[in-house]
Amino acid sequence: MPTLHLRRVLPVAVIAVALLALAACGGDYPNSTFSHNTELNDGAVFLWDRMMLLGTIVFVVVEVLLVYTIFKFRRREGGPAPRQIQGNAALEITWTAIPALILVFLAVPTVRTIFQNQRQAPTDALQVEVIGHQWWWEFRYPQYGITTANELYLPIGKTVNFSLRTRDVLHSFWVPQLGGKRDLIANRVNHIWFTPKADLSPAAYNGACVEYCGSSHANMRFRTFTVTTGEFEKWAAHQRTVAMGSKAAIAEAAAADSAAKAKPAVKTASIIPVPAPAAAPETWVFPVEKMAAYTLPSTPMPATKFDESLLASGDAAAGRELLTNPANLGKAPCLTCHVIKGETNYANDDQAKGPNLTHIATRHTFGAGLYRLDAKTLALWIKNAPAMKPGSVMPTFGAGEYNALIKQAVPAAAGLSDRQIADIVAYLLTLK
Amino acid sequence: MASSAIPTHAQGASGASQSSEQSGLWSWLTTVDHKKIGILYLYTALFYLLVGGLEATLIRTQLAKPNLSVVSAEMYNQLFTMHGTTMVFLVVMPLSAAFFNYLIPLQIGARDVAFPRLNAFSYWVYALGGLFITLPIFFGMAPNGGWFGYAPLSGPTYGGGFNMDFWVLGLQILGISSLAAAFNFITTIINLRAPGMTLMRMPMFTWMSFVVQFLVILAFPVITAALFFLQFDRFFGTNFYQVQAGGDPLLWQHLFWVFGHPEVYILILPAFGLVSEVLPTHSRKPLFGYNVMAYSGIMIGFLGFGVWAHHMFAVGMGPVADSIFSVATMLIGLPTGVKIFNWIATMYGGSLRFPTSMKFAIGLIAMFTIGGISGVMHSSPPSDLQQTDTYFVVAHFHYVLYGGAMMGIFAGIYHYFPKMTGRFMSERLGSWQFWLNFVGLNLTFFPMHFSGMLGMPRRIYTYDAGQGWDVFNLTSTVGTYMLLVAGLIFAYNFFKSRVSGAPAGSDPWGAPTLEWSIPSPPPEYNFAQIPEVTSRYPMWDLKAPDRMAGIEHSHADAGTIAEAHAVPVHEETERRSAKELGIPIPFPTVKPFMVALGIIILFSGLIVMHAGKFPLAMAMMIGGGAFMVASLYAWLTSPLE
Amino acid sequence: MSAIAAGAHEAHEHTHYTTTGLDSRKIAIWAFIGSECMLFGSLISTYLVYKGRSVVGPFPHEAWTSPTGEIFKPILNIPVTSMSTGVLLFSSLAMVLALAAVENRGKPGYEGILGSSKFWLLATALMGATFLGFQAYEFTSFVHEGLTIRTNLFGTSFFTLTGFHGGHVAVGVLWLMTLLFIDMKRGLGPKDTILVDICALYWHFVDVVWIVIFALVYLIK
Repeated sequence: MPTLHLRRVLPVAVIAVALLALAACGGDYPNSTFSHNTELNDGAVFLWDRMMLLGTIVFVVVEVLLVYTIFKFRRREGGPAPRQIQGNAALEITWTAIPALILVFLAVPTVRTIFQNQRQAPTDALQVEVIGHQWWWEFRYPQYGITTANELYLPIGKTVNFSLRTRDVLHSFWVPQLGGKRDLIANRVNHIWFTPKADLSPAAYNGACVEYCGSSHANMRFRTFTVTTGEFEKWAAHQRTVAMGSKAAIAEAAAADSAAKAKPAVKTASIIPVPAPAAAPETWVFPVEKMAAYTLPSTPMPATKFDESLLASGDAAAGRELLTNPANLGKAPCLTCHVIKGETNYANDDQAKGPNLTHIATRHTFGAGLYRLDAKTLALWIKNAPAMKPGSVMPTFGAGEYNALIKQAVPAAAGLSDRQIADIVAYLLTLK
Repeated sequence: MASSAIPTHAQGASGASQSSEQSGLWSWLTTVDHKKIGILYLYTALFYLLVGGLEATLIRTQLAKPNLSVVSAEMYNQLFTMHGTTMVFLVVMPLSAAFFNYLIPLQIGARDVAFPRLNAFSYWVYALGGLFITLPIFFGMAPNGGWFGYAPLSGPTYGGGFNMDFWVLGLQILGISSLAAAFNFITTIINLRAPGMTLMRMPMFTWMSFVVQFLVILAFPVITAALFFLQFDRFFGTNFYQVQAGGDPLLWQHLFWVFGHPEVYILILPAFGLVSEVLPTHSRKPLFGYNVMAYSGIMIGFLGFGVWAHHMFAVGMGPVADSIFSVATMLIGLPTGVKIFNWIATMYGGSLRFPTSMKFAIGLIAMFTIGGISGVMHSSPPSDLQQTDTYFVVAHFHYVLYGGAMMGIFAGIYHYFPKMTGRFMSERLGSWQFWLNFVGLNLTFFPMHFSGMLGMPRRIYTYDAGQGWDVFNLTSTVGTYMLLVAGLIFAYNFFKSRVSGAPAGSDPWGAPTLEWSIPSPPPEYNFAQIPEVTSRYPMWDLKAPDRMAGIEHSHADAGTIAEAHAVPVHEETERRSAKELGIPIPFPTVKPFMVALGIIILFSGLIVMHAGKFPLAMAMMIGGGAFMVASLYAWLTSPLE
Repeated sequence: MSAIAAGAHEAHEHTHYTTTGLDSRKIAIWAFIGSECMLFGSLISTYLVYKGRSVVGPFPHEAWTSPTGEIFKPILNIPVTSMSTGVLLFSSLAMVLALAAVENRGKPGYEGILGSSKFWLLATALMGATFLGFQAYEFTSFVHEGLTIRTNLFGTSFFTLTGFHGGHVAVGVLWLMTLLFIDMKRGLGPKDTILVDICALYWHFVDVVWIVIFALVYLIK
């Protein structure tokens, strides 16, 4: 008896869906798109609510009619033959006109919101350039001369105007809690702007790439920190300096020592004039303890082995020597892809294939938000990045590790030993 | 597959020239009978349904929990690319084609399609092209740039290797098949309708198929051009989508979606047509608002060409374009909604019976409504920017394609299985399949609405713990296994019923249209005598003339319809061979298969060329091309019948 | 695409009942032409979208100095292409006459060489071949002047568009030659009209497309 099945199964299905809906309403959803954190998203949520209301009405009307019809007009033995009705013009007009009317209630606010969202951003907005790479995010603050990666700081209450472009394939920039997404398109510059509302308290949010971009599309994440204006200025003032312990910083310190001497002629590869580190402001970063658990990555660690005991005795000076001495380029070509402002670089920001490392030690995450930044994880990463992020453009450097590019293990002579990696990590962790 | 008809009926059809000597593999390779080709399409597409379903199962298994590594990132990317490509091009379109082939000539009272050999060619290009695009996954070389193949990721610079070569060439091959079939069916429907079968008397399935064929011939050339560009970029170093030469990735997106959106209607309209056959039959009532149903189909097809950029609201087209495409997209909801209401009105006041086909048809109405409503939600760009490229979209189009297209196709299979085989499918197993499908699909896809709106992007092979998505993903995965079980029950039912299903007569459901006037399975010539049609419901005229009194007929004297109708009903006893009846039947021929084979060799040569083996590649391309042209000439110069 | 030509010959020699009274091949070729419009529409749109967006020269209508100081003239040679356009246009006339000759074979006024379908079929095919010859010349001279399909967006979209059209002309020439062969072998008469008719429709379509291409690519700067 098929109808028996309907009676039996339908309630189960309804209960299952209702339970899910309850789950959806009750839980803690850190990436919810229904937030009211920006005026941009207010518009989206307003439209969503309206569509949800209208859609629910249509849904209920249709399904009730359907279920009623199914039960009411079941065939009964010996029942009369149904009336052979072929159609009804009035009905047809009705069920075209009513949905059309419903759509008007949707179309008008939609068009209004489209034009509202796509106005020119206010001229005093904070400018942020977002540059997509396979598979990480570069963020630049042209008004401050800052280039950073995978961690975005935004002042609360200030409009931020993003200009979006990509260095390779298409990507899409999205912080669900702060508003809709915008694609990064090769040979084009895209824009989106919004204002984190003034009454927000500082917080960390997850962001992600939402345009499929190849192997590690899923691993192209980032963090956004909304901070107070004061905190932002502190952060920015520090971030724009050269790296601590860098060539420029050492030279500057030496210059400060011998105060009588003339200004040292430090040449950095950086394109932006760099304030002297002697005057370096205090380091300020978003406090990690204020980051909610869901903004701290829990990506599983790779099988790569690393002698952790070496990390404690890592020699930063030796690590720096490995990176910056051209003689070591074959072994540790780090600075051909990464920029450390204040060091002798082989790449500048516009050529860099990898994230800017100037203040890497001030970040909480790395690897496009995949991993917590700590000595051990960093060491594993340098040893064998592709094992931690599939398709990683950064190759395998650890001696003895399998390198997919050359389809064999990295020979001991060409690769970095655990000792050397520990030194490099020690150096990187000085880059506050 | 090889044994042709059910034994009892095969005896009846002893004289038919397709019987004994042609029941082997060779008969299938050489057949030009639209019914056999339809069955070939059906079996092949069901095979690919299993393939696509297994791909989906692997995908969902990988996503069951955060940070799993059931498959690698690279394999996952191949799986989701192939799942989409398979389901669109190798499953839903060919399943529709199976019904086009089997049903259109029967519904319009024709003996075959307009070009029987071209029809065989379409099938073989599809079957071989399907292998071309599917087999590489066993070598880890399957397409990995998404079914949408966005440049420049699909281009030579970022999409190295053979993966996307197989995709770009495979879609070209499948496009040839679809185009050839579409020309064939347009011609068939325009030109081979039985006397009295006016356009407005055509069964609704034929109507929707008619619209679909126009969508195919107008949409496929656009992706053909787009694919040629990509192919040239990949193989000959042109600059269409090459960023460094100034190429514009949006060109691909526009061309792809000018095809891609009509493609959605190519997938769904045949299912709408099938449901429009099933509902009136089991409601014992004519389709409500036939004219409106036909016109709304045309309207959907027409508007379908004007809404493509709603797939691109995130690319920054500017407020004017966003608004235009937004409103156009909302408009397309109207003719679609009208269909839903007309179906319900068809059932309303009817005398409803609920065999499995009816369950699936009702399932389509219930489930497609959800997909339709979430579709309208995408039409509002400010809100869509939060939805696009998230699991909300995945939920939306699976309600459209599984809840809509696949439900409709299952309805069609259960409805027409008796016509194709002369036997019923098991209703008990059918009921199990339906309910598992119904619950499974809601378990799988409904939670995706939540995970999407709660921030989960599409096309990610993994996600971190604690993002609030875990319960939804696990539910989806459980649902997917339920769908897999439902699919296996269907397969069992299908194959078992072929052999031992209860015998069905020529008109087991009391359906209104011409295909039910001939034996099941139909003889190779379909109609011993081409019927003359006087109304939309010739079989009801015959079997229930009293009910048909109010229905418009070309004969004024509605009271004597039973005598006036000219539908010859061919009972089993009337089975005679085509030869006995003097009906010319097209000769079986292997030439269409050979032309298709030549095309595959030619395209494979391009892959070999990319592998750097130039002499072999040239040999394959020249050899395949020559083989194709020679077979084509042989085909054209040999007589049809 | 050749599959379509294939279909067009399907119902050869048999007269079946048809709803419209037209031969099915005629309906199919119209559907095919509708489809081809979308193909050429896409190709032409692409050319127009990329017009003026090449990063490097040579350019169609403007001179270009390369970074190394080489000077490139505007590359399109309009007088030569006008001639080949004229030839292709005249071929349509010949096609019309070939069709008339087949339809009216044996009727008064269709005697002699000017009433011979063989002559007009051959003339059409030859004019098509001449057009292809011009195109081959044009392509080679462009390559010599430094423009290949890989050079820039203009080269890419130009060669693809005109190449596709040339491919269509080539298929048409083969089709005409096949008809000519049949004509020589057994003679084409009124009952074969449909065979020539569908070829003529295709040929005229290919002609019309060229006029659009010629106007948009060559004439409009």
